[in-house]
Amino acid sequence: MTALAALRNALVGRPRDAALIGGIGLAYAGLYLWVIGDLGPGGEGGLAARFPAWERVWQARGPLYFEPVGLIEAGPWIWTFSPLNTLLALGLGLLLGGNLVLGWRVRHGASHCAWRAPGGSLLAALPALLAGGACCAPMLLIWLGLPLAGALIPVLPWLLPLAALLLLASLLILARRLAASTS
Amino acid sequence: MSRWRLSPIILFAAWLLLPLPQPLPEARAALPTVEAPRVPLAYSLQEFRQAVRAGGPGKDGIPSIDRPRFHSASEADALLEEGERVIGLYLDGEARAYPQRILVWHEIVNDTVGGRPVSITYCPLTGSALGFHRGDAELGVSGRLVNSNLVMYDRITDSEIPQMLGVAIDGPLTGRRLDELRVVWTTWGAWKARHPETRVLNRETGHVRNYRRDPYGGYAPRRGYYRPQSRRLFPVMTESRRLPPKASVLGFRTPQGAAAVTREAVIDLAVGDSHYTVIPDAGLATGWVFHNPRRVAIRIDELTFGPAGVSGGGTEALEAINAFEAMWFAWAAFYPETLLYGAAEDAP
Repeated sequence: MTALAALRNALVGRPRDAALIGGIGLAYAGLYLWVIGDLGPGGEGGLAARFPAWERVWQARGPLYFEPVGLIEAGPWIWTFSPLNTLLALGLGLLLGGNLVLGWRVRHGASHCAWRAPGGSLLAALPALLAGGACCAPMLLIWLGLPLAGALIPVLPWLLPLAALLLLASLLILARRLAASTS
Repeated sequence: MSRWRLSPIILFAAWLLLPLPQPLPEARAALPTVEAPRVPLAYSLQEFRQAVRAGGPGKDGIPSIDRPRFHSASEADALLEEGERVIGLYLDGEARAYPQRILVWHEIVNDTVGGRPVSITYCPLTGSALGFHRGDAELGVSGRLVNSNLVMYDRITDSEIPQMLGVAIDGPLTGRRLDELRVVWTTWGAWKARHPETRVLNRETGHVRNYRRDPYGGYAPRRGYYRPQSRRLFPVMTESRRLPPKASVLGFRTPQGAAAVTREAVIDLAVGDSHYTVIPDAGLATGWVFHNPRRVAIRIDELTFGPAGVSGGGTEALEAINAFEAMWFAWAAFYPETLLYGAAEDAP
């Protein structure tokens, strides 16, 4: 089996795995949107949505960080909705989900292998969170109490692409290992 | 293809390449400035330029509010709590309140009050609010910081001005000082009591933000980034431990030096070779500063606190000096030689 076939099989061939990837993707996307400040508390219990700023859909607030076009209120939450931020969050989340599921399968399919893919994948997802967190709402740094923003900001534009590349590379390596173990 | 068939394409390409006539910057009145800075410059303008850091968002990534809308105090009451922070402005008989929970997302409001164009500016990282006359220019957020403080730019000349310095450090206006106007950092309850007819900036800003949340923490009570003992995020040019980093001070500047006070009492301070008087305003939890070179005695019992600030009690002949609240670490970073009145002891 080729790496590509193994990847396709792993990602969509098994409904349980696909659901798991989707679940992880959604959870990570939620975390990402929360860290960048798009998702937060402040809702007053109801359900409401308005989209008054579609003209700002492409307007950037920072590197790979875009203006919201609408506001969705659901229960205690408020989501300032940017389609591009959401796509980025979901894309990274699905990459992370794919990594974790493939990593799990590689480890359990070949127990003799010392590969530690899931841990590596989680680490690969961190730069994206830092990129979001350090941009406009440096929540992580405030909570950690670290005067790191000055050092972090110059590398900011690279963090999100770096996270995506790391996750993609990790996914391909895992797919090749899975293909090798099943052939 | 014949030459004639090519001609329209060439003409169209030339039209695309031709620069469109742009209005000259001189056609509009530039940002009103004064040549000689009336603030002490502890560093050269080049040193300030070198200390500028990227803050994360790009230019206008934190969008200023350029078409502000207002509602009445009674309408604002439904949205604001008494203890919430607002930035108050009283100019030519008009009172306006700009809620901190809105400005934390925008940092600058380009407004017109009593027919006079003004910019109300707020930097959450240094807890400082200042007002400036702006002429026909608008101020915007450059996305850069110096001493953690907002670096503004003007949209006519693209000059860069650190908010707490009020002097352009880069661009055509380099070395020139902006024309400041007094704004008051206080609570909604206090401002409303002093100015019942005040108009209040509302949430129809033209941008979508979660105005129920402050990404840095909160002021009532102080938490997150605003806690007095919490650490700053960005490097500063000078560090001082005489007060906790985020302790709030009322500061003012003169050509001879700067001074900051933390105590609520009538204070006479010698700055350089002249004297200044600070009069606390318990109603607004702020202070008013006067140049008092002849050391006129202030008759406290005769002081009157009204919409325009303090009057009477010997202040009539004194020149008012602009003052503003800021976090101590930022004040000390911009004005390291500052006098400090009210530090009980050096902070650990």
